[in-house]
Amino acid sequence: MHELLELQRDLAGSLHDVRAASRAQRWLAGDTVLIEQRLAIYRANVAAAATKALGAAYPVLRQVVGEAFFDGLARAYQGLVPSTSGDLHDYGEAFAGFVADFPHTQSLPYLPDLARLEWAVHRAYGAADAKAWDRQALAQVAPARQSALRFDWAAGTSIVDSSFPIARVWLIHQPEFEGEFGVDWSVRECALVTREGFRVAVAALGAGDAAFIAASLAGAALGASAERALAADPGFDLGQLLGRLMTSNVICGFTNNEDE
Amino acid sequence: MKTIPALAVGIGLRQPHYREVFERAPALGFLEVHSENFFLDGGASMHALERARAAYPISLHGVGLSLGSADALAQAHLAKLKRLVERVEPALVSEHLSWSGVGARHFNDLLPMPHTREALALLTERVDRVQSTLKRSILIENVSAYFEFQDSDMSETALLAELARRTGCGVLLDVNNLYVNAVNFGFDPIERLAELSPDVIGEMHLAGHTSADGCLIDTHGARVCREVWALFEEACRRFGPKPTLIEWDTDLPALDVLLNEATTAACIAATSARQAVEVAHA
Repeated sequence: MHELLELQRDLAGSLHDVRAASRAQRWLAGDTVLIEQRLAIYRANVAAAATKALGAAYPVLRQVVGEAFFDGLARAYQGLVPSTSGDLHDYGEAFAGFVADFPHTQSLPYLPDLARLEWAVHRAYGAADAKAWDRQALAQVAPARQSALRFDWAAGTSIVDSSFPIARVWLIHQPEFEGEFGVDWSVRECALVTREGFRVAVAALGAGDAAFIAASLAGAALGASAERALAADPGFDLGQLLGRLMTSNVICGFTNNEDE
Repeated sequence: MKTIPALAVGIGLRQPHYREVFERAPALGFLEVHSENFFLDGGASMHALERARAAYPISLHGVGLSLGSADALAQAHLAKLKRLVERVEPALVSEHLSWSGVGARHFNDLLPMPHTREALALLTERVDRVQSTLKRSILIENVSAYFEFQDSDMSETALLAELARRTGCGVLLDVNNLYVNAVNFGFDPIERLAELSPDVIGEMHLAGHTSADGCLIDTHGARVCREVWALFEEACRRFGPKPTLIEWDTDLPALDVLLNEATTAACIAATSARQAVEVAHA
């Protein structure tokens, strides 16, 4: 009994590691050469599917390093971090960390942050649609209560902080981008990822806006979030930021906690 | 829930064709999608699927459940499929006679099973569990294979027939996969058709393949070849017309190429149905 489990473990070993080809031999029909040829077909299929999935999750990174290099990068990643889900859309979450350690991409130090940004975009694509909400209700909140408000953020909203202009790099690589392709590499950017309707948007944030959104996303109340924003940027304009986030339904509700 | 008539021909709906399919609304019997492309909470893909299901019956075709993994069935994956089935109310739900990994490792490929009593027992238990979780019957598809197991003591079709008898599941007969295996392992595919009874066949798949070093490889990236059309014709004669899908996943061509293939399939199915009626009345 349990022969099937033993068979699958041996076959998995041979598919994962070309040096372990002999493990599969005892289960398969045909001669050694034929079996090795056929195992190679499966190995190629497996690698191609995982590489395609990574390319779909990291399209900008793929353009930046070039297709051929990306395919090599993807193969190296698969050797270290194999897929564990039957849904390949889940594959690639650890890619940023892998790229940070990969010896041959050290000359592109912004790649790990770009990868984190692309993973956030990838996740935002399938996030739940934001519900419509009653913005008038916000105006009904008594001024004394306002600083205790906590905002609800649309699913898929996240920020990716970087020492590099990653939002700019992402934007100029979008197929619909029109305009100058120049990048000012001296700029540090905190990128905001949002779902606006069915479209995933990426925007660079100023220091005050970034501090506010980070605090609020982490669950801080309006007053505490605004204090952090003002500490980061004395010129922070709360009204302007909230107007923008509510118009695009990125802020999609609030909790008015009466106990605070 | 929409049902699919027996003479219906559908195509696999892939993202590059979304817009054109919705704008042109081609006359198709159903659309089939990969379940795993819609394990999402919302967004553009889910919206497209909602549009598709408003206009066509939907078939959810899973590629990642790995029914045959000997160690465990992926409960989280099954839970996502259940959620999708409840949301879409598809006319058909299908998976493969295959495994994709063991332990934590997932190869995301349809690896063949040995055709043994042990495999049959495992698959019976798994199909029972999936059907009771989804509260509906599913179809199980035969897969392309590039190696055979020494221990196999029955054909894949015989295993499928027995699995269907034990669990009440249906069979998704992939005519291309049957042909690919017939060439790769040197058997007569028509003899294998005889192992399946017409009433268990719930759907048929047609697709293209390629050839490398004497081995046919299932790519879903080419037109259906002459030999597969001939085998499909034979299958239609034996089983009567069944919902039939043109499956194309890689190197996706213009939508019209898929629609032309669908028209060919519809003609073959209709002709064989007419012949079957004439034989019955003769």
